Amino acid sequence: MISTLLFRGGLAAICAIALAAGCSSQAAPPESASAGAAHSAAKNPYAALAKLPDWSGVWDPSFLRPPPGTPRPAPPKLTPAYAAQYAKYLAKNRTTPGLNFVSDVASCVPPGLPQSMQQPYPIEFLFTPGRVTILIETDHLIRRIYTDGRPLPKDPDPTYQGSSIGHWEGDTLVVETEAINTSTSPMQGINGHSDQFRVTERIRLVQPDMLAITTTRVDPTVFVEPYTTTSYYRRHRDWQIMEYVCEQNNHDALDAHGNPAFSLKDKPE
Amino acid sequence: MSALLCAASLALVGTASAHHSTAMFEWGKEVSLNGTIKEYQWTQPHTFLWVVVDKGNGTTQEWGLEGMSPSWLGRRGWTRHSFKAGDKVSVVYYPLKDHRPGGFYVRVKGPDGKLMEALPQRGG
Repeated sequence: MISTLLFRGGLAAICAIALAAGCSSQAAPPESASAGAAHSAAKNPYAALAKLPDWSGVWDPSFLRPPPGTPRPAPPKLTPAYAAQYAKYLAKNRTTPGLNFVSDVASCVPPGLPQSMQQPYPIEFLFTPGRVTILIETDHLIRRIYTDGRPLPKDPDPTYQGSSIGHWEGDTLVVETEAINTSTSPMQGINGHSDQFRVTERIRLVQPDMLAITTTRVDPTVFVEPYTTTSYYRRHRDWQIMEYVCEQNNHDALDAHGNPAFSLKDKPE
Repeated sequence: MSALLCAASLALVGTASAHHSTAMFEWGKEVSLNGTIKEYQWTQPHTFLWVVVDKGNGTTQEWGLEGMSPSWLGRRGWTRHSFKAGDKVSVVYYPLKDHRPGGFYVRVKGPDGKLMEALPQRGG
């Protein structure tokens, strides 16, 4: 049995070598157009990128409202523990005008995915063979999304942006992310989640210069059912991503009680 | 209509200063002061205007006014040269709730009389 398998394996290997040899020997005679394209794609993987949609430029989410007629997103359906935390946040928001979400981000800890994609500063996309890279201005965050067909890694160390793979469905990039640091915020108003937290993003153009990212969050300890929201981004072809060093001059770190402070101690000399 | 305005202003608050909560300010309550800039800090995650105010009794008080970041202001007409030490300015700001001499600056008028808006216009 083993020898049969070995023999078969050996045969397959010989065939592969013969095919490869045959392939290279075809370089001399003239090639058909499709064979030529396949050959050039194998030779130059960058050629395949020309088929991808044009997402060049810098994409700004600040103050961007959804296109008219967009239905309001359904509120999240939360487990009791997280529903209590969210209710407290909403109540504070009602009674304290101007209050928004308090998190470690005030102390310059970077936001985790997906909140990192919804900061008031822009993002940009880089396409290279087998990979999409998202550069987020806030805190210089980088997301490496592998589109070469590999699976998600098994049991990687948790990180703020998680481990991501993606694939193209037409002009929509579908990104799956796991292994996101459990101390991060899965949505505005909630801190923390479990190691079962998974994020799926569908990224596509909805207008020539407007990108939509539909984000679905799954974590049975937080959400009773998957929670989906959509963020919109406007293209600015003339902008550049700027440097963002949060520790440069931060007067707003959280105090010992976890409340946002406003330090007037470090006055200029 | 008022619900719409309210929703719009809430939306602005939600993203105006996402780096941290704006709970320490009386957000939306506009107050003004006149003074002389001690230092204009064009820094992340927030710009700062440090302004010396003459209290009129022979003493002065130093104010710390936080603003949007260079990333935000820099794309909307501001530069690190917009103001400098010694400039006489008039500043509209949202005050701190705890009444310390600080706040979040909304718009600034410098020696040339040009009004610089530092936050998106409401309803705009």
